Amino acid sequence: MVAAKRIEPHPAFAELFGGVKGSLPGAGVMASTREGSFERFSALGFPTTRVEAWKYTNVARATNQPMALAPRVDVGLNDVSAHLAGGPQARRLIFVNGHLLPQLSHVKGLPAGVVVADLAQMIERDPARVAAALAPADDDVGFEALNAAFTRSGAWIEVPDGVAVEAPVQLLFLTVGQESAVMSHPRCVVRLGKGARLRLIETHAALRPGHCLTNEVMRIELDADAVLEHDRLMVLDDAMTHIGRLDTVLQDRARLDQTVAILGGGLVRNEIDARLEGSHIECLLNGVYMTAGREHVDTAIRIRHLAPDSHSDQAYKGIVDGSSRAAFAGKILVAQAAQRTNAFQSNNNLLLTDDAQIDSKPELEIYADDVKCSHGATCGDLDARQLFYLRSRGLPRDKAESILTYAFAAELFERFKDETLRKQAQRAALARLPGGAALKEML
Amino acid sequence: MLKIDNLHVSVDGKDILKGLSLEVKPGEVHAIMGPNGSGKSTLAYVLAGRDGYEVTEGSVSLGEEDLLELDPEERAAAGVFLAMQYPVEIPGVANMYFLRQALNAVRRARGEEEVSAADFMRRIKEAARVVGVRDDLLKRDLNAGFSGGEKKRNEILQMAMLEPRLAVLDETDSGLDIDALRTVAEGVNKLRSPDRAIVVITHYQRLLDYIVPDKVHVLAQGKIQRSGDRSLALELEEKGYDGVLGDKAAA
Repeated sequence: MVAAKRIEPHPAFAELFGGVKGSLPGAGVMASTREGSFERFSALGFPTTRVEAWKYTNVARATNQPMALAPRVDVGLNDVSAHLAGGPQARRLIFVNGHLLPQLSHVKGLPAGVVVADLAQMIERDPARVAAALAPADDDVGFEALNAAFTRSGAWIEVPDGVAVEAPVQLLFLTVGQESAVMSHPRCVVRLGKGARLRLIETHAALRPGHCLTNEVMRIELDADAVLEHDRLMVLDDAMTHIGRLDTVLQDRARLDQTVAILGGGLVRNEIDARLEGSHIECLLNGVYMTAGREHVDTAIRIRHLAPDSHSDQAYKGIVDGSSRAAFAGKILVAQAAQRTNAFQSNNNLLLTDDAQIDSKPELEIYADDVKCSHGATCGDLDARQLFYLRSRGLPRDKAESILTYAFAAELFERFKDETLRKQAQRAALARLPGGAALKEML
Repeated sequence: MLKIDNLHVSVDGKDILKGLSLEVKPGEVHAIMGPNGSGKSTLAYVLAGRDGYEVTEGSVSLGEEDLLELDPEERAAAGVFLAMQYPVEIPGVANMYFLRQALNAVRRARGEEEVSAADFMRRIKEAARVVGVRDDLLKRDLNAGFSGGEKKRNEILQMAMLEPRLAVLDETDSGLDIDALRTVAEGVNKLRSPDRAIVVITHYQRLLDYIVPDKVHVLAQGKIQRSGDRSLALELEEKGYDGVLGDKAAA
């Protein structure tokens, strides 16, 4: 008997869909898209660890259970101010439990033709276009379809050819825990035209602890010569689950420079699929994850080089503490046409306890013969010589350990483009270390 | 001030120091010379409290304190400083930040007030000038990508800032060109003081032209084999370890 690769959704999902579908944004084409998506979700279900891409994460345990759609909650400026980034010029969409918070969002005054809107608005304005964007992905698990069935908000961003947007755009997703389990399904679309430029900041934060699933799907399309800088920070509560799926497609000479920090969350899946369809693309994926307690963070990256002369680099570092577990699976596929590809990957991990666990799996699939590809994975504890050096200068052991732990990942934090977000990430990282608050001068 | 009595130390089950005794009084500079493998660096690490060095017999005290009972950071607070032969590179930790944390940690442990940011800057500029550490090295990560000479100067800079009672210099001359050697020695000489003891561990007598010791000891086979004044170092230079020690020269 072959062990099952999928788990059927709990009947509560169908009940919920039947109950709410009439009140979700969009009728007509959107309604039928939602119906189709829900059917797909029902058929695909949740992956078991027999599915190779989910080998290290038993995701059904946290997600296949009765959950209501997260309710709208009004929050004030005081609740959000600590999470604002991008400086005074920034434009911003703020979502609370998957609902736009219009009174604190601000997207006016952008150059002509630039669209930064909530998905719900876009559904009203142009349902057929949104429905097309929700077209089924070539997928063997159900999360993307689940999102397409239930999504009610998210960012819709379009930058026309040749436009460089000066002001950073921040997407701030706040989660407010409820008495019982809830879920939200944000959907984001980011399209940059030829030669367009944008700085995108994405923040996920918890305002109140609670059992919440955020099932986010984002699609980034970069046309020729477009440049996107994407900073992404996640600091969630340990009862929260975040399933993030980012698909990106890049054309000739496009550049994606992304830095991700995952600094809290019960179960976090950071999945990135990059299709490099053009030549001379630069695709830089930087990331750092710090896990503690019983947290679980799973990074799954797939980069597909489909044309010659492009460059990709994955640089991820992890600090794994307590009884937590982290997984990193990075795949580089180089198609036969993609000659002279440069593709690099590194994943370095610091294991702070005997109970912490890391699974690191590099995977190269190369069909071209003239390429430079490399990967390296390491896993270790703090360097005894460094620790002795600091202690011999008078630093107490716990402080020396915290300094060295932060220092291990320090270079990744430096890669954030937005200074405010970088500081927020650095402070959140230090807060995870014993005595870390006292180390803020390190920054 | 420093009193080492019949010290036996083993590393990975192998006896390295086999009954070393040494006394250094306040204000004195002692040189410890010896062939490779004689136990010089082991002595340095044991004094600073590094893991992996098992003291099987004997005692080490600094003033009234039993050093062997103390953790490395407690030894630093008690006034021990080891300038290492191979200073460790620590990317991600800025040199200046580290120095200030170290200084304040040691001051707190000694019951002194922490230094203000302004006071710290004043001190470090002065100390850096004396030992020839450039400003940009202060801002860089600790020892990361420093040349051999820059690392050694940075050790002496730390020593100047932490104002130890006992400074141990482990092969501080190795990897230094003559100009760097002179600056480093000058820095050390500035730190000579009536209430500070300095132990200079070296393979060559060259450094002792610049840091003139009060006493010279020859370490071989885990023990001090001979002690004398500065002329002993010159004799070693002339005759070599074999000539001075005969069959005891072998490590």
